[in-house]
Amino acid sequence: MKRLILSLTFLAAFASAASAECYADYKAKQDDPLRLQYGVAQIDGPCTVGDANEELVSRLADEGWQLLEVLDVFDLAGAELRRENAGDYYLRY
Amino acid sequence: MREITTSATETRQTGTRVVVAGIASIVLILGIAAILLFMNLPDANAFNARVERIFVENSNLTSQAEVKLLEILAQSGTAFSETLTSYRFVIFVLLVFATALLVAAVAFLVMLIALNRRMSRIEQKGIEVNSLMIAREQNLVYLNNFEFKLTAAAIETLSVLAEARLDDEVMSGAEIEAVISGRDASDCEEAAGATRIKRLRDSLGNQMISELLVKNIARQGYMLAIDKSVIRMV
Repeated sequence: MKRLILSLTFLAAFASAASAECYADYKAKQDDPLRLQYGVAQIDGPCTVGDANEELVSRLADEGWQLLEVLDVFDLAGAELRRENAGDYYLRY
Repeated sequence: MREITTSATETRQTGTRVVVAGIASIVLILGIAAILLFMNLPDANAFNARVERIFVENSNLTSQAEVKLLEILAQSGTAFSETLTSYRFVIFVLLVFATALLVAAVAFLVMLIALNRRMSRIEQKGIEVNSLMIAREQNLVYLNNFEFKLTAAAIETLSVLAEARLDDEVMSGAEIEAVISGRDASDCEEAAGATRIKRLRDSLGNQMISELLVKNIARQGYMLAIDKSVIRMV
């Protein structure tokens, strides 16, 4: 019984960790003519700048954008703070 | 005299070399200028790269308006670089013109020098025959602009000599006599041809000297037909 409770708490912990949403803000560009983008995107993988970078490079490249840098990673509250700045690019890619 | 001739030839050879080197250096210098021109002007991407760096380096440039402003900045930079490209083309065209003009100037200079040299040679040499026209009907021969009246026999001799010259042939006295009299060369005497030549020389030489040197002014007398300043007594 004790074991079961223990495993359940573990499970719950993992579940909550997995469900904690991760967002990143990034800068990207297009050439000819130069277009710049500041956006916020949801990250599916581990919530670090490095992983977000890897994930966003391919995701943006599919849309014809070249990732310049990932600024930071944060949770939903942080994303809401940046919603206004990101504008059209809030959670677009 | 011989040394002077040798040095003149050498001068002409070095002159040709100098001309070739001069034209080559003109083309080379302007070519290098054109290359430097094309290399040193910034390309369209230089402005975009600069704007991109500003965007990345300033982490607070994230609002929509700021991003839009940066894009506009990059576009105006690109427009300016297009203007520069057209300027570059204009400058290049001017460079080509400059090259052509300089080359032409050098060529004309050389031509002028050569012409001057030739003029002085002609002046030294005296009479140089540029044209010989024989009018057989009027028994006239035109040497350059001088008109000489000859006897029919002398005209005949001169015509034979002219025809031989056209064929690059040398004729003996007997051959000349043969052509004029219509007999075979073996039947003609060398002396007869020599006499014809002598008469031609006498008649033509007499008239030529009277035209060029000892002039006869009608009812007044005789006078040297030369400039006073060229006379020197040694």
